[in-house]
Amino acid sequence: MSLRDALTGRRKLKAPARDRLFALSTAYVTLEGEHGIAGLGVAGIVFQPLATSDFESIVRDMEEVVQATGGELGATVESFDDAFGYRWMIIKDPGLEDLVVAVNAVSSALETGGYGDRVLCAVFAFEGPSVGKLYFIYNYKRGTWYPFVPAGEGERATERELQVKARIERELPIEPELERWFPLWGIPF
Amino acid sequence: MTSKRSTFGRDTGLQARMLLTMFLLGLVYAVLIGVLFASGARGITLAVVAGGLFLFQFFAADKLGLRAMGAREVSAKEEPVLHATIERLCVQADLPKPRIAVVDTSMPNAFAMGRSQKTATVCATTGILALLTPAELEGVMAHELTHVINRDVVIMTIAAFFASIASMIVQFGFFFGGGGEDDDDSSFFVVILVSVAVYAVSFVLMQALSRYREFAADRGAAVITGRPSALASALLKISGTMKRVPQQDLRAAPREMAAFYIFPPGVKSTISNIFATHPPLEQRLAALSRLEAQLQSGR
Repeated sequence: MSLRDALTGRRKLKAPARDRLFALSTAYVTLEGEHGIAGLGVAGIVFQPLATSDFESIVRDMEEVVQATGGELGATVESFDDAFGYRWMIIKDPGLEDLVVAVNAVSSALETGGYGDRVLCAVFAFEGPSVGKLYFIYNYKRGTWYPFVPAGEGERATERELQVKARIERELPIEPELERWFPLWGIPF
Repeated sequence: MTSKRSTFGRDTGLQARMLLTMFLLGLVYAVLIGVLFASGARGITLAVVAGGLFLFQFFAADKLGLRAMGAREVSAKEEPVLHATIERLCVQADLPKPRIAVVDTSMPNAFAMGRSQKTATVCATTGILALLTPAELEGVMAHELTHVINRDVVIMTIAAFFASIASMIVQFGFFFGGGGEDDDDSSFFVVILVSVAVYAVSFVLMQALSRYREFAADRGAAVITGRPSALASALLKISGTMKRVPQQDLRAAPREMAAFYIFPPGVKSTISNIFATHPPLEQRLAALSRLEAQLQSGR
């Protein structure tokens, strides 16, 4: 933030960073092949639903598009509003690449509608030996990924997250600042 | 993907007023510095001592402030909802997570402290946690985070720097001024007079600046959450309770703290508007309602 913005107190929401969502498609080869961490075939994209009419029609259209394309691929879409007022679009598809494409379709639709800055993150579920269930979270604002391993009520297994980071950081752009590895409690999948 | 519209328009008027106020403050302070130098060694010594005291206050302010408020840092386990709400806002605002603290009092309020984004602490009272719905709480926390993003603590401290020096000179001046050398007594008298004037004028300007920063923080909260009306509803609830609930614990809080509240404690009538750190509720609600209109009309 520039000095002038600080002085005038001007706020603009940061637009999404350069898209590095698709890095997961290539990193997945290493994740699965070398480390046995397999996708669970489900992903979610989290955004703030604005209470404006055009926003709602964008979301409806987007849901239809993803559902229509998903139909051929055997994918399903459902939406879910969490306790914090954020909306989750949950996409189920056995193929990880298709999941990435579907998540990208949702964020692109929001961006085309001018609401790209409302997207919070995308979450992909995985499972692997010695790690158990883990999530890879993509932060749209920063264009970075980080692993999240919940371990019961309000606890996270930081050690496991750091192990996963060490394994994959050459393929996946991992968020360098650990204090920005924000947890997401109550992921609905 | 080419469309680049932002959700809210700009508020050029607010920015212009803010910059003008800062310019006027600078002007007043320049006069003070000029007079201090013109008055020779004694004036400069006074200024250095007063400045040193002020800097100490500045660097100790965080901890002193939090302690004075009885704020206690809480972990994610103790306040999971508050933590999760703030974490999501931090992702949206691209901000590192601040420390989170809670004050045990039924009076609903919130404030932010800290000189930088890394050292910031956001604090809520147990009263506000109980009073507000999740969306309203999110609006209030976004307001406080905007204070952190805009570095309001630093800006208000810098704005207060010379005003504090002026006020300390007035105090010291009466203390030292009595005895001693006759030759520069008259020039010293001028220093004190100018200090009094600088303090008075800069006080009014600082309060104006503080109000503009509040408008900016309300606006920032609307931008981050996309829900201006949720913040408006929170302000209404808080103000309603503020009038009903007697102010117990927070009455002992230092006055300077008022600038960092979401809502000023002990608000009286609007006659004292130019001396208020916060804009009147009606004006804040009107500004938020304009933002909601911009949002709905797709600007």
